[in-house]
Amino acid sequence: MRNSRIMSVGHYVPPRVVTNDDLKACMDTSDDWIQQRTGIRERHYSEGWTGAADMGAEAAREALDRAGLRPQDVQCIVFATLSPDVDMPASACLLQNLLDVPGVPAFDVRNQCSGFLYGLAIADKFVKTGTYDHVLLVGGEVHSTGLDLTTRGREVAVIFGDGAGAVVVGPEPDARRGILSTHLHAEGKFAEKLWLESPASRSRPRLTEEMISGAEARIYPKMEGRYVFRHAVNRFPEVIREALDANGLAPADLALLIPHQANLRISQMVAMGLELSERQVFNNIDRYGNTTAGSIPIALYEALEAGRIREGDLVCLAAFGAGFTWASALIRW
Amino acid sequence: MRSAILGVGHHLPPEVETFGVRRPIATDPVGPSTLAVPAANQALAQAGLSAEMVDFIVFATMTPDVTFPGAGCFFQDQMGCTTVGALDIRAQCAGFVFGLVIADQFVRAGAYERILVIGAEVHSSGLDYSDHGAQISALYGDGAGVALVGKGEGTRGMRGAAIHTDGRQYDRFWCEYPASRQHPARMTAEDFRAGRHFITMDVDAVRCFGEDALVAVMAEALQAADVSSDQIDRFIISHILLEVAETAGTRIGVTPSRLNLPAARHGHLSAAALPTALSEEIAAGTLGPGDTVCLAAAGAGFAWGAAVVTL
Repeated sequence: MRNSRIMSVGHYVPPRVVTNDDLKACMDTSDDWIQQRTGIRERHYSEGWTGAADMGAEAAREALDRAGLRPQDVQCIVFATLSPDVDMPASACLLQNLLDVPGVPAFDVRNQCSGFLYGLAIADKFVKTGTYDHVLLVGGEVHSTGLDLTTRGREVAVIFGDGAGAVVVGPEPDARRGILSTHLHAEGKFAEKLWLESPASRSRPRLTEEMISGAEARIYPKMEGRYVFRHAVNRFPEVIREALDANGLAPADLALLIPHQANLRISQMVAMGLELSERQVFNNIDRYGNTTAGSIPIALYEALEAGRIREGDLVCLAAFGAGFTWASALIRW
Repeated sequence: MRSAILGVGHHLPPEVETFGVRRPIATDPVGPSTLAVPAANQALAQAGLSAEMVDFIVFATMTPDVTFPGAGCFFQDQMGCTTVGALDIRAQCAGFVFGLVIADQFVRAGAYERILVIGAEVHSSGLDYSDHGAQISALYGDGAGVALVGKGEGTRGMRGAAIHTDGRQYDRFWCEYPASRQHPARMTAEDFRAGRHFITMDVDAVRCFGEDALVAVMAEALQAADVSSDQIDRFIISHILLEVAETAGTRIGVTPSRLNLPAARHGHLSAAALPTALSEEIAAGTLGPGDTVCLAAAGAGFAWGAAVVTL
């Protein structure tokens, strides 16, 4: 069975930059408070009628260009998002329409912060089995339209930003290179520690006006921050070691770890736990906030641009987030 | 190596009279994850496996328990499948076929050996019960169907499949809100009062597209499986419009005795329709080991797919 590899990466972030100081206009917060807890300085917010698929299409076009491919060469589209353009159908359908490739199978993966890596695991298998030669995997979010941008919602709202990234996954003839393994986990016991409740099909009715605009609005994400933090700093190193162990490798072998950009403090704790140097970990949360399914491909794009990944390098992508879900992928570039 | 369906199960809530028709409707506040638990236990029992032996979960739904995380996480917790991966996919009415194809990939690549593939929906909590929505709302039912997918041997298992999407008419059959693309807020009280969070469907577009799509994709799956239509013991065809599934069956030359149309019995169960119908037949003894089935579904997206499987 052949290996797969990431052939190219593209990204898109909307032009509007929202700094921590800008947020002070709608909530009681401060640049110091946000930076101290999260490492975030600014994030991007989309405008107008821009959805995850619109941004995803921009990222996809860049990735395809860089792979020397046309949209017509794509055989399958996997879209990871938790903020779809519309409730139904999947954002992958809208993305496919924008790329004008009718007929190509397209579906959404809804695995929150681990969505991109769940999608990568799927793309990897489709290529490995020889089913497809070119899978387009996109991760993207428009969080800004679903946040409680008042003082009441500040703990969660300040963290998130909009953005999208895309990769083309294709065949790798060298069995020692490409995506070496993927590892996926979930623990639904903690589903309500970081979640967005409504609309909820388990409520009857699924949505009420009270849920939207009542004093206890349920259409905004909620998080028990400390709880999530504690689990993240355990699960991240665990799933990174799982990937390394599966391939007989050690943290010292890593040229670069790209953790999902959830919180700079989490990334720092993970690096410390694995005894990784600053040079071995890539972070860009200061400029984008948490873009959830978009964060890993955006960071991967920037790491490549900055020359932080060279041919033959061992790269680990890892994520932890809502679900809880967590995942890793080990790649010989 | 090929993957195989080692067990199936289904669970439908009791029938309730709604819009003048009887439909399985979840009257308790439960999500699709909860409906899927008894169905999964049935599938596991049939395969002679226990929940701890499951190594991956693929959950297809368009009506998740909550907005996020995915229904698969809630399902995993209720099943006690510790920390195995729980993938949630969205491919609307064709979700189960997409899920089956993804599970097949993981098995063939040697990543997992015992995957629960779930198609489950609780439509009833999100339907428009006003006169305005009655025509569409009357079509839906709630339910869950589950397949335990593992390794196949010989000709047993997934023989061939095809999945497709055509997003050009995504707004002909959709539920628009909440819509993250709407700035500055994806769902307002005004959107709610206007009923923009209900499913709308252009019946002519859906009928027209669905019929041709089903016929073409069944032919494609049969060809991929290298079997002829005569070798199929049962065609299970799911579409929200019963007559579309029926016509597609007729056009591909299936006699009524070899045709199973889940919408005729339960209304439209979306992702749950195909595994529910398969499970019903296995429970009734009308399908069993060695029989070959063609599972086909088409719907919103538009997304459609078919799989030819020997039980």
